[in-house]
Amino acid sequence: MRVSMRWLERHVDLADVTPEQLCDDLTLSTAEVEGLERFAPSLDDVVVGHVVSREKHPDAGRLSVCRVEVGEDAPLPIVCGAPNVAAGQKVAVARVGTLLPGDFKIKKSKIRGIESHGMICSVRELDIGEEHDGIWVLPESAEVGQAVSRALGIGDWVIEIDNKSLTHRPDLWGHRGIAREVAAIYERPLHPLETTLPEITPGTPPMDPWPVAIETTGCSRYVALPIDGVRPGPSPDWLRWLLLAVGQRPIDLLVDLSNFVMLDLGQPNHVFDRNGLERRGRGIVVRNARAGESIETLDGEMRKLQPSDLLICAGDEPVALAGIMGGEGSKVAETTGSLLLEVATFDAATIRRTSTRLGLRTDSSARFEKSLDPNLPMAAAGHFARLLAAIEPAARFPAPATDVGDWQDPSTTIELRGDRVRTALGKALPNEEIRHILERLAFEVEAEGSPDEGRFRVHVPSFRATKDITLEQDLVEEIGRIHRYGQIEEKPLHFDIAPPPRDERRQLVRHLQDRLAGGARFHENLSYTFIDDALLEKLGDLDLPHISVINPVVQNESRIRRSVTPSLLPALETNRRNRTDVRLFEIGKAYEPEHANDRGEPRERHLLGLAWAGPRPSKKAAYHENRLMRLQSILEDLVRSWGCHEPRWTAEGPRPSWAHPGKCLFLELEGPAGPVAVVADLEPGLAPALGLSGDLDSEVALAEVCLDRLLEAERGGTGYKPLPRFPGIKVDVAIAVPESMPAAELIGLIEEAGRRQVADIELFDLYRGRSVGPGRKSLAFHVLLQSEKKTLTDKDERKFLQRLGKLLGDAGGEIRGI
Amino acid sequence: MNPADTLEEARRRIGTCDDLDALKEIERELVGRKGIVASLLAEIPKLDPSERKARGQEANALKQAILGLLKERREEIEAGRLDAARRAEGFDPTLPPPRARRGSLHPITQVTRELEDLFVSMGYEVLDGPEVELDHYNFEALNITKDHPARDAQDTFYCDEEGRLVLRTHTSPVQIRAMEKREPPFRVIAPGRVFRQETTDASHDHTFYQMEGLVVGKDISVAHLIGAMKTLLRGIFGRDLEVRLRPGHFPFVEPGFELDARCPFCPSGCSVCKQTTWIELLPCGLVHPNVLRMGGIDPEVWSGFAFGLGLSRLVMLRHGIDDVRHLLDGDLRFLEQF
Repeated sequence: MRVSMRWLERHVDLADVTPEQLCDDLTLSTAEVEGLERFAPSLDDVVVGHVVSREKHPDAGRLSVCRVEVGEDAPLPIVCGAPNVAAGQKVAVARVGTLLPGDFKIKKSKIRGIESHGMICSVRELDIGEEHDGIWVLPESAEVGQAVSRALGIGDWVIEIDNKSLTHRPDLWGHRGIAREVAAIYERPLHPLETTLPEITPGTPPMDPWPVAIETTGCSRYVALPIDGVRPGPSPDWLRWLLLAVGQRPIDLLVDLSNFVMLDLGQPNHVFDRNGLERRGRGIVVRNARAGESIETLDGEMRKLQPSDLLICAGDEPVALAGIMGGEGSKVAETTGSLLLEVATFDAATIRRTSTRLGLRTDSSARFEKSLDPNLPMAAAGHFARLLAAIEPAARFPAPATDVGDWQDPSTTIELRGDRVRTALGKALPNEEIRHILERLAFEVEAEGSPDEGRFRVHVPSFRATKDITLEQDLVEEIGRIHRYGQIEEKPLHFDIAPPPRDERRQLVRHLQDRLAGGARFHENLSYTFIDDALLEKLGDLDLPHISVINPVVQNESRIRRSVTPSLLPALETNRRNRTDVRLFEIGKAYEPEHANDRGEPRERHLLGLAWAGPRPSKKAAYHENRLMRLQSILEDLVRSWGCHEPRWTAEGPRPSWAHPGKCLFLELEGPAGPVAVVADLEPGLAPALGLSGDLDSEVALAEVCLDRLLEAERGGTGYKPLPRFPGIKVDVAIAVPESMPAAELIGLIEEAGRRQVADIELFDLYRGRSVGPGRKSLAFHVLLQSEKKTLTDKDERKFLQRLGKLLGDAGGEIRGI
Repeated sequence: MNPADTLEEARRRIGTCDDLDALKEIERELVGRKGIVASLLAEIPKLDPSERKARGQEANALKQAILGLLKERREEIEAGRLDAARRAEGFDPTLPPPRARRGSLHPITQVTRELEDLFVSMGYEVLDGPEVELDHYNFEALNITKDHPARDAQDTFYCDEEGRLVLRTHTSPVQIRAMEKREPPFRVIAPGRVFRQETTDASHDHTFYQMEGLVVGKDISVAHLIGAMKTLLRGIFGRDLEVRLRPGHFPFVEPGFELDARCPFCPSGCSVCKQTTWIELLPCGLVHPNVLRMGGIDPEVWSGFAFGLGLSRLVMLRHGIDDVRHLLDGDLRFLEQF
């Protein structure tokens, strides 16, 4: 909201308060000031001039050559193109060197051979109006040589207050409310404001009060005041300048006055043409809209209504969308002099719902939705009528105001304990000061019990009681902010020392992050929770149950992910363009709506997604130089270093859509009911859709780890094993077997052949080629044989190899020479 | 060859030898078992006994002399080798080492960890809360009723037409979840991801990170809140910053504040503080009695304070990041920098 300092001065004395000081004080005690600006700053530079003489330009018929007295030694010669310039006028003169709006600097110039030492300005050139037909003629009384702002007394500062910081303060949506705060801050009196209705001057024949019927709970009070004898015309200057200062374009007296009352008291109001109302039906009816009803609002839009919307009707015909905007038919006709002023209280939630649904936010709806004081309508009607009567002596009020509605005075009384205030603020404020601050804010305070007890009954005036102040705690805030929080000294917190409970989940997250970003050289990524429909479609996951938002920011990104790894897929293409080897991981949440609990919360899973893409390994690469296998060993490292033992790989499990149907493995651990992780090559059919074909052809390995399951896995040391007492022997053995024999089976045979002397088996080569023949493969192992009873010898090795050879023979394999 | 000539020859060969292996060969030829000196000695028995002693002494002297020369030369060669090793010929100190490849932690993770560690060291518990949240926790229990205008300020993603399920617009719902499961006194923080339904630009994203803090105890006051916030800022910026508390309205606190800190980046106004020298950092306040009640805590007995910290904003401030969207778009050229 824009607040004019000159306007505030109508309500409170601001002598000795600088604009900067006022902004700081409002910020620290009341609401956030977002900006401070000088109103029409060019008026501070432009001076009042007196046109001493005006002659026609000898060489240009439309131009005048003026001599303008500006309080300097000699009048200035100024060439002027305006048709209305005349000798004897007081005008606004921009002298040489003056900077006008639009970065326009006045220079000494020659116009058609005649020197010009300045410019006589129009209002548009000064950015204070639209008119550009002629120069701005100032009142006769303006003192020559003075700055225009000073001469006219319109120099002003405009304070911009953040509306968001006023949502809880309906009373601050007008200048008087702000002035009340200022009065409290500076301990100055708020000027009284007379708002009783002026005298009724009955016409002939005498007129009855205007009939008003409220047929809805959405309107608690409706005041209607008939007015006669006013013709639309321009507002007086004082009113125009104040409206201009707060950024309202003056239109005509009635509109301007309606706006002024709203911006002064915070109470919206509306002026109807009585003739227009009467043509539609006698009497105002406030009712809910009917299904299918619509209204054309003043902005020319046809609005479709719902039964929850409120209408002001003349008879049965809607003339305004209550509290939001007048109807197209409610405009005051140029010639009419018979009016009806409406000032009402509408239900905040109702106005808010309609205004939000229609996307129609107005100055009026913004105020109503804050819960306005139902005492205000009569005061606002009186304020309007008194101002009008002062401006327009012909104005008459032919009938008493109608005042209907079942409103209740919201003012209330709160018990306040001084001790409570002191405890909450952490400062020993004396009871007297507590009382004094509240009184400055227009609360009435009565002491209860003896004065030293510090118990008060605080009467909350209605303008603070609609929403804001309902509890003792609310009064604490009032006292704190006026006292100033900056006056409170900090205090350390005191608690019993106790370590926070063990937080395994957080430890696990850190463990995984550190391990991955460390040795595994993965980069941590965070991606959006929303997942693109197009990606889901590529994955074939579009039909899976997803939580989706009904109001997405991006049209096809309404679904919430139920898995984290897919979020990493779109990043692969762009990153592969810039980097050869792309390793990303992300730890995040995913949601499964089909597993909702009885409160309707979807199952939340904490997942680690991994994606690794890069060029395909060469033909000569060793068997383990592919990303799938390397990712497997990274996962093994993650779970082993977390303290889990014996990770088992299996090909049986729920394969995700992104996984290669054949190259997909599941990691199982002791404890959880299902696999802890899945690792796979990218499903080959997805590569082109993900942009990972052609020049970006990539080997892509992916994985997803369920942290929730990993947390269920058994952990703990395997216990200490005594160091071997006897040296072992390392046997390297290459074995050729049919392709169909899985490595696990082969390893089983080696263990069997070793007869419990096998301390370790490690695969180090996998070979296929001419020397092992078609349909066969060769696997080479380091085998460590060790005994707890003796030093093993060559003889033991020979026996082992003999046994192995025999077992292999039975299985169609053989030991190859190394 | 007579011994003198032999010595002369030995001196020449040893003196010109540059290699330890070659020197060994020379040693073998001269003083080895079948070497020249050995052959001289072998001839002694054949000599006239009167000559034997003298020739024997002569041969032994020759042997000693040769061994001396060999030792001396060996030491020279070894010293030369060390010298050569120390000369580091061809070493280019400017040659770039192979690129050290490493992974990285997201800057949000880094700042979250710092703050977690700071608060854990002060006895706070770190909590996690759901991102898909019940309206009850996100709004109702936080004293934000259905038609409360404060809902405007938090453009909400709704997950159903009835508005029962939303994407949490702040980390504050964790306050209620924490209260429901704990007996006071306690102190918790809850970092996490939050969502606002708004169009994205360089300074706004619909998804960002916050950290909530909540302390509940006996007689918790504004003075305690100020103290805790100063400690937090000291942890973030590594030094004391002047702060100011001004009224700020959040329905779940009363009184509510905005805490501004003196801009840590400038002495007298810069683009970060928009020339005001203050940066708005922490909305905070004393927990509203209604909120305590919703969390099952008696506001007559207990009180508390709560605060919220924008982690995405903090990361941007700290690293001078000019576009918030970099944080979540998965570009390695961004991620690698942290």
